[in-house]
Amino acid sequence: MTASHLSASRKIWQTLSSIKTGVILLIVAVIVSAAGTVILQRPATDPEEMQRAYSAQMLRLLDGLGLTDVFHAWWFVLLLVLVSASIVAASIQRFPNSWRYFSRPYKSPNQTFQKALATQAEIPIRDEEAGLAAAERVFQRAGLSPERMVRENSFSLFGERNRISEMAVYIVHTSLLLIFLGGIVDALYGWSGFVALTRGESSSQVALRNGSQRTLPFAVRCDGAGEERYADGTPKRWWSKLAVIEAGREIVRKEIVVNDPLVYNGVRFYQASYGSTGKVDKLILAATPANGQGTSKEIALGTDEDLPLDADTSVRIAEFIPDYVVRDGQVYARSAEVENPAVHLAVESRKSGKLVNVWLPPIEGFEQNASSPYKFEARNLQMAYFTGLQVSHEPGQWAVWTGVILMGLGLVIVFYLVHMRFWAVPVRNARGRLVLWVGGAANKNKDVFEQRFRKLVQEIESEIKLQSEACAPAHVTSLAGN
Amino acid sequence: MARARAEQQPAATGTTLVVMVGLSVAFLLFMAFLNVVKSGSLLNESNLLYAALIFYSGAGTLYLGFGVTGIPSYVRFASLATWAGLLANTGAVAHRWYEAGHPPFASIYEMLLSFVWTLAVLTLIAEKRYGVKVIGTVTMPVAIVGVILMQLLRTEVHPLVPALQSTWLHVHVTLAMLAYAACALSFALAMMFLIQDRMKTESFLAATSLFGIATYMGVLTRFEKWGGLSVAAWNPEEKSEVFLAKGVRLFVVIPDLGWLMLVVLAAVAAPLVLYLVWRKTDDEGFINMANRAVFVSILLQVLALVFFLVRARDGQYGSLDADGLFPTSLAASPFILSGLVGGIFVSLLYLLLLWRREDLERMLPAADELDRITYRTIAIAFPLLTLMIAAGAYWANRTWGSYWSWDPKETWAAITWLVYAGYLHMRVTRGWRGRRAAYFAILGFAVVMFTFFGVTYLLPGLHAYA
Repeated sequence: MTASHLSASRKIWQTLSSIKTGVILLIVAVIVSAAGTVILQRPATDPEEMQRAYSAQMLRLLDGLGLTDVFHAWWFVLLLVLVSASIVAASIQRFPNSWRYFSRPYKSPNQTFQKALATQAEIPIRDEEAGLAAAERVFQRAGLSPERMVRENSFSLFGERNRISEMAVYIVHTSLLLIFLGGIVDALYGWSGFVALTRGESSSQVALRNGSQRTLPFAVRCDGAGEERYADGTPKRWWSKLAVIEAGREIVRKEIVVNDPLVYNGVRFYQASYGSTGKVDKLILAATPANGQGTSKEIALGTDEDLPLDADTSVRIAEFIPDYVVRDGQVYARSAEVENPAVHLAVESRKSGKLVNVWLPPIEGFEQNASSPYKFEARNLQMAYFTGLQVSHEPGQWAVWTGVILMGLGLVIVFYLVHMRFWAVPVRNARGRLVLWVGGAANKNKDVFEQRFRKLVQEIESEIKLQSEACAPAHVTSLAGN
Repeated sequence: MARARAEQQPAATGTTLVVMVGLSVAFLLFMAFLNVVKSGSLLNESNLLYAALIFYSGAGTLYLGFGVTGIPSYVRFASLATWAGLLANTGAVAHRWYEAGHPPFASIYEMLLSFVWTLAVLTLIAEKRYGVKVIGTVTMPVAIVGVILMQLLRTEVHPLVPALQSTWLHVHVTLAMLAYAACALSFALAMMFLIQDRMKTESFLAATSLFGIATYMGVLTRFEKWGGLSVAAWNPEEKSEVFLAKGVRLFVVIPDLGWLMLVVLAAVAAPLVLYLVWRKTDDEGFINMANRAVFVSILLQVLALVFFLVRARDGQYGSLDADGLFPTSLAASPFILSGLVGGIFVSLLYLLLLWRREDLERMLPAADELDRITYRTIAIAFPLLTLMIAAGAYWANRTWGSYWSWDPKETWAAITWLVYAGYLHMRVTRGWRGRRAAYFAILGFAVVMFTFFGVTYLLPGLHAYA
């Protein structure tokens, strides 16, 4: 029972850690992702467009399978989890071997190893110590940090470089998992939404992408926003002056632009858009009494504002149409752009309760301009603009960026740092001559390593030659001294 | 039989080629001269680009000529022409940069400019450093198609919309161009590996035919009733496509062109059918017939291209979705055009292989050397791809408040990354070398091309301006 249980879990482990499973999972992930780019996706596409693109039956099927929101479907998340599990399993499976390489480098080659090694050379030497010393100097110069090994009563030399390269794959895999982790944290605890503010307005309500509202523990206030345009009319720069208000106190102020958000308490406010609300901020009017008595005065009228003109009369904006057109005896708004504006003023007498409709410009059939106690002339129109702020909270992003940096590092190590190992052992060769056996091994780019090894051997040879030349005269002198 | 044919061919094709290169360079220089006369200034961007086109075309033809005739001096001239083209291309990039005030990465036109530049640099590196002399046979046609596309796409300097004003954009796009050019090179190397690995010429025949079928099937997705071919309408004043609504293009129908494309599809499919028959019957006659069918298909492809050029260049056509006649232009159909040109190039490359295989093999480095260089190129491309995606994510995070939004371009970049990751894993853990690795490299480049072009034009998303 236990045995079969064990073997079953073992089987699962083996399947999970096999490269075949990994590749199959990756292929599935690729196919599913590709499908997600071809089929219209739910949150991004409006429902009407979906209905236009697919038949009702098809749409039901796609919705049922989650294919209209592939990247947020539970099975897609499951797929990513499986991919992660496969990476973890495969890494764990292979890790002990690499770790042995890494933590306990093979420093004293035995004879079997010496025979089997692919890259090796023999350099004739006169005595063991001189040969080893020459090799040591060459190793030192090549940055191999040589180590003298003593075994039984033989000496040998070991030098290596870039041992970290054996671990690079795990760095890359860990970084990928970190990125996944960050993504999962953000998917679970992150949110993102939108806030539109006009000047002076503040809000702590964020409309989330999924349609719900979120109340922030603080409010954000817009102290001003604006836009600069290029000569051809395309937007050049959008900016908003924002202030964060918490418990009635102003905490932070910042002018944000696209690409430079305001961050407070892990919540980020991005400049996303800028546009007209279609509402009037200030309408500047010259009001002149119609009876000719009294002087003209300039008034600034805002939306939802009742402005007294004298003791009895007041005026307010009843309607504002940014781009009006009259058709079939009706006034229509053709667009939301301020192209051809018309304003409908309601002039009211407090005593009589009499209401006069004034239209600027006068639209026949609607205007009662002649019976108004005041004549109005439009001087200036200031529209209210809103600044659109993208708001998001992504607690997992630090894991993602750490993962990204780690991955960059890992990949550089994987591809460009070669773990090179060199051994030098004085031995008697088959013909009984004393030689310095030199061997080398690299974990990748073996062809380039081969050249490098040849060079190293040549250097050792010339070092030995140099040494014997340097020694020879000294020997002669000492003889002469005798 | 095929050998005997090859013995007869070289003299004739060699001379014809020299004459053709001479004539076309003369023609292009004449056109360039007209252009200079018209614009009055010599060193403006379009002239420089034109010069680059001339030299790249010359280089491409000479590389091909080297393949056909095996005359070593050709490759020296080809290499010189590439240098000259690169110089002109660098000038164009610098001019653009100076004029726009930002590095040329903001639109698909500017990116193509940088892509072609990188490709030329890498070609020269591969040639000088690794001794892959005929690499230009594959990369130069790609560069030429790139420059031709650039001539068609909008060239005015457009101010950057707020989202694009970021250093990260430049980092992102530079990395993308470098990565894509490295992928293109790995593709070319993988093809050469397959040649050197003694893959049967017949298999290349089948692949050529398949490429043609895919191209013309793609073109024929625009087939309309009564044999028309619908192409996007073009607004010559605004130099852009005509939009009915946001993201919905207006298409006009060029009559009868659909039938022609259908005929060409049959012609490019014929070699594949004959190849399959040959595989079944083992009768050499069929493969010879298939090779002849490639000739016929080239003639028909050229015919299709000419008709397309004549009819879609300008002219007013009716639409199925709106009343009246609308103009169109070659610029409105860059994909059909590059598909048609690409199809002809691929068929010509096949002919080169058919006639001059042994010479080609002599000129290329050994198979395992090519295999290693392919791997090295991908070892350069993969970290670049990774960093490109990371820089893009970082930029998106600063601009839209989200580092990953599964937008089609992002998703396809991730798919590209996964494909190359698959290549590397198979190579390292499974010891995949040679053929299988080469197929993988080719697949990777196909995905790159789809990400670069296909996604921009076929799938909607945030990368709409690129």
